[in-house]
Parts: sequence; structure tokens; C-alpha cells
Amino acid sequence: MIRRTLAPFALTVLVLIVAVAAVLIPVALATPDPIGMIDTFLFGPFRTFRHTGNIVEMATPAMLCGLAVALMFRAGMFNLGVEGAFFLGALATAAIVILVPLPGWAMAPVALAGGMIVGSSACVVPGVLRNRFEVSELVSSLMLNFAVMFIGLYVVNSVLRDPSAGAMVSYRIPADARLPRIVEGTRIHLGTIFAFLACIAGSIYLFRTKAGYESRIVGANPGFAAHLGLPIRSVMLRAQVLGGTIAALAGGIELLGLYQRFSWQGLPGNGWTGVVVAILARDRPLLLIPSALFLSYLQVGGDLVARNHDVPNEVVGLIQALILILVTASAITRSPRLLALLSGKRKEGHA
Amino acid sequence: MTFLETIAHIVDLVPVLLRVTTPILLAALGVHISQKAGVLNLGVEGMMLAAALAGVLASAASGSAWVGLAGALATGAVLGFLLSFAIHVLKADLILSGIALNMLAAAGTTLVLYMLTGDKGMSGSLSSGVLPSLAIPLIADIPVLGRLLSGHHVLTYLAFAMVPVVAVLMMRTPFGIRLRAVGESAEAAATAGIDVARMQIAALVLSGLLAGAAGAFLSMGYVSWFSQNMSGGRGFVALAADLMGYGSAWGTMAASLLLGAADAFVISLQGKGIPSELLQSLPYIVPIVALVIHARARRKRFVRI
Repeated sequence: MIRRTLAPFALTVLVLIVAVAAVLIPVALATPDPIGMIDTFLFGPFRTFRHTGNIVEMATPAMLCGLAVALMFRAGMFNLGVEGAFFLGALATAAIVILVPLPGWAMAPVALAGGMIVGSSACVVPGVLRNRFEVSELVSSLMLNFAVMFIGLYVVNSVLRDPSAGAMVSYRIPADARLPRIVEGTRIHLGTIFAFLACIAGSIYLFRTKAGYESRIVGANPGFAAHLGLPIRSVMLRAQVLGGTIAALAGGIELLGLYQRFSWQGLPGNGWTGVVVAILARDRPLLLIPSALFLSYLQVGGDLVARNHDVPNEVVGLIQALILILVTASAITRSPRLLALLSGKRKEGHA
Repeated sequence: MTFLETIAHIVDLVPVLLRVTTPILLAALGVHISQKAGVLNLGVEGMMLAAALAGVLASAASGSAWVGLAGALATGAVLGFLLSFAIHVLKADLILSGIALNMLAAAGTTLVLYMLTGDKGMSGSLSSGVLPSLAIPLIADIPVLGRLLSGHHVLTYLAFAMVPVVAVLMMRTPFGIRLRAVGESAEAAATAGIDVARMQIAALVLSGLLAGAAGAFLSMGYVSWFSQNMSGGRGFVALAADLMGYGSAWGTMAASLLLGAADAFVISLQGKGIPSELLQSLPYIVPIVALVIHARARRKRFVRI
């Protein structure tokens, strides 16, 4: 019985191993030291405490962006504005702490709240356009991401730019506004705890509240939801407002947790990582935690390899893309033959 | 005199408009075909990007821009096939597979470029070719008409020539009718004996070919290099053009020209004191506004019927 219930999980693990191997081995063979590269990628993140801490640091925005994506996908909304919301949320947070004179204790909360409001627009605007005019939220959100990026870079360049810094970066973020570090020897900050709690709250919202139940029905079967008389449009919009707010908050937390200045010259890609995290977690908020940790582990491995073996960390992007396809491939993940194999004859499925 | 100058100014803008519309139109026609078959090609952005790099590589390796074009087309077609493979054989989600394809192209092109040239951003060290512009004999000598009709890029002519070709293919041939039947209702089409998978594979391969041509235009149209993320969202703009095209190839062309006009407008304003970042955001805001206007117009039309 246990084997049977764990078989889908084991299959996912198997798929992940295949995805990593399929990218890593060919790339490694193109380098002078294949074994060393694979070793660095797979085990490097655990060799030093600092690098293991990096995994948790990177998992923080990944969890929150994954939660944003999961809440929207659950309601059937393919809104890809998470990337723009993350960027804009971080920028607005930076703008508030730099420009608005606030007492030290109020800086982070006020700036994060402001960042949420401004940043969420990258998801809310496509949501409203879908709601009012039936404009595809998929297409409008994809384009809004680019518009948000260019407008954001304009703000950085013309308002926040520190002329003495040399590069195109903002003024320094005041020390009072930064989120406190919580683990000695790493950069893990208060935002990480918040991200864990958010995933738990997301799970309660989706599976234990009326609003969450409504959004799951609307996402799973809009026709049925219409028959029930659910306010479909407002349920869809609510999911996108929630998603945008969480993604924007993730951006603000990332900025106040890890950065000295706002220094992004383009979209940072965390939103797309969020999509992969959410899909790998099958849109279940609690599973976002291991899913985000795993993808961040790959990211840290990729960064270490980039530093030590002259292989760009885009390798991780390839693995992410492969994971996205393979995990949604129901021919693999729901294959009766594979599941039977894992639950019966093999040991992978055994607890 | 001022009237003539205005005319001359507008005539001067036409080549710019056609140039910036070319990649959008080629990609949008590709999206159009896939959309008609019920498999919206969200990977068009990644296909363009990968084809742009493949074109430069094939051209640099062979010394011929035409071989580069062939490489770009082949890359688009192969990616189209891979996308249909993901959907039909692996039974993966259409939209997520498209997103995955875009991620794959963004990471893959950077990786391949770095492995071959040691540079992540540009392919400057590779000597790749540029596809030619065509001067049409006789017409080129006519004062205004020559400027309007002659001297454009070979892929610009291809793009606009593809509009009637795609229109006839979709509306007037048995292949097109089957393709549209699959898009309208896959179950009904299957009952009528149409091989749904085969039609959708064909649609995505055709879509990939057109996206490949669009990619070739980016890296071999007027420049002879590939740069990181050089497709810059044009594939997504093409998606919008298709949505605005009322489901016809001619409508898609009109929408592409409209969105291209926004690009041309931005180019004409460059260096006139407006911050470049704000100008650069315009080509992405215009499609969103256009989609809203289009959606309202469509709704009114339905109300009248």
C-alpha cells in the first residue's frame, strides 16, 4: 500500500534524475574535467556551510514565486506576470526605502507594502483586462513584463541612480531597512521564515477555505463552476491579485534580504523559476518547499560550476526547461507500466 | 513644397515600417497556422532565438548566407517537431511545453555561443553572412513607386508573399480544411477520419519554419551577428498580432503592420530627447492597448449579430 502511494513520488524523482543527467553528462563531456565538473555540480553545494546556505537563500524567492504561480494556475489563469511583478516589487521597495524618509523600524514594512501594491500591477493589469475585455492574460502578461522592465530601468536610471557608484545601480539601501540575518555564517534572512509560512498559509487557503475551494473549482472545471453559480470572473481576478501581490512581495523581500543596492539590468528570471517550482510541486503549496529547495540546489551547483569549470550557469536553465516538460508529460508521469514497475518490483517506491 | 516634403518623409518611412514588420509578420503567420490547428505555438519566441543563432553558425561555417538561412529554417522546423513530440508523444501540456521551449532556447543559445566563441553576449567573432536586399529591375527606377516596392530585404518579400500563400493554404486546400477542422474540434475531426496528431505535427513544423525565417531575419537580415536574447519579445508580439488578426492571414498581416508601425515610430523618435528606456517600452505597450481596443470592437460586432 505504501509502495503504491509513493510510486508517483518515486517516478518524479526518477524523472528529475533523468533530466539532470541528460543535460549534465553531455555538457561535462565537452569540458576538460568531466568527473570534476559533475562532482562540483552535485556535491559542491554541500561541501561548505555557506554554499548550503545559498540553497536556502535562493529557495526563498523561488518558494514565494512558486506560490504566486500555483495560486493563479489553480484558478486556471495562465498569467505569466510573476516575472514582471517580482522585478517591479523589488524596484518599488527600493524606491521607497531610498526616497521616503521613515523611522528605521518602519522602513521595511512600509516599503514592502508599497512594493506589493506597485509590483502586483504586473499581474493585476492582465487580470483586469481578462476580466473586463476577455483579453488573453497569457499574451498581455508576457508583453507587460517587457514594458515593466523598460519603465523600471528608466526609473533606476533617472531617479534612483547613484552617480558615484560607477555602474547603473541605485543609491545604497539604508542598513535599517535590511531584513535581519538569522543564521550565522550564511545570508539566510527573515524572509526565508516568511516564505515557509506563506507556503503553509497558501495550503490552508487552497484546501481549507471557501475562497480557495472556489478557485480550485473554477480552475478545474469552469463549466461546472458556472452551473454552481460561482462568480467566476471575480474568483479568477482574485487569484491574479493574490498571485501578483505575493510575487511583488517576493521581489521586495529578495531586495531587502540580500542586496545593498538595486542593481538588476534586466528581468532576473525568478518568475520563470517560480513556474518550474510550481509545476514540479503540482501546484500544491506545501510541496513548493522541497521543490524550491531542489531547484535552488541545482542553481547553486550551476553557479559553482560556472565559477570553477568555465561552464556558464545557463546549464541550469536547460535542466529547468527539461524538468518543466518531463514533469508535465503525463505519458511518463501517469504511465501505468512505469508506476507498476516502481510500486512492485523496484525499491525506489519503498519508504 | 512642404506637402511634397511630407510625402517624401512618409515614403522614407515605408522601408523602415516594412523592415520592422518582417520578423513580426513571419512569426505571426507561424502562430496563425498553429492556432488554426488548435496548438497555439507559444514557443515561437524561442524558435526565433534558436534559429537566429543557428543561422549565424551555419553561415559562418559554410561561408554562405543562404546556407545560414537553411540552417535557421531547419532549426525552426526541428523545434516545431519537438514541440509536437512533447505534446503528442509525451502528452505534456501545450502552454507549459511552449514556455519550456522558450527557456530552452534562451539558455541553450547562450550556452552554445559560449562553448563555441567563449563569449556569452555576442557572436562578433564569427564571420557570418547577411542575406541580400533585392532591387527589382525597372521598378527600382520609377521615382516614388521604386522606393516603395523595390530595394527591400529578400525576407521582407518572402514575408508578404507568404500572406496569400498561407491564406490559400488554410482556406482553399484540403490540407487547410483538415487543419482547421482539427483546430475547431479534434474529436469531430478524428471521427471524420482525420489523423489529428499528424495534422498538428504538420502545423507546428510549418509554424517553426516561419519562426525560423523570422529568426534568420534578426541575425542575418541587416546585421551579421547574434546577440543574447536578440528576439526580445518579438515572438510574443507576434502572438498578439495573431490574436488581433480575426483568424485570417490577411488580418494577421494588418495587425503585424500596425504593431510594426509602433516599432517604426519608436525608431523615428530615437535621439529626440525622449528617454530611450521609455521609448523601448512602447512596442510592448501598444500591443496590449491594441488587444483591448480589438476585444471591445469584437464584442460590439458580436452584439450586433
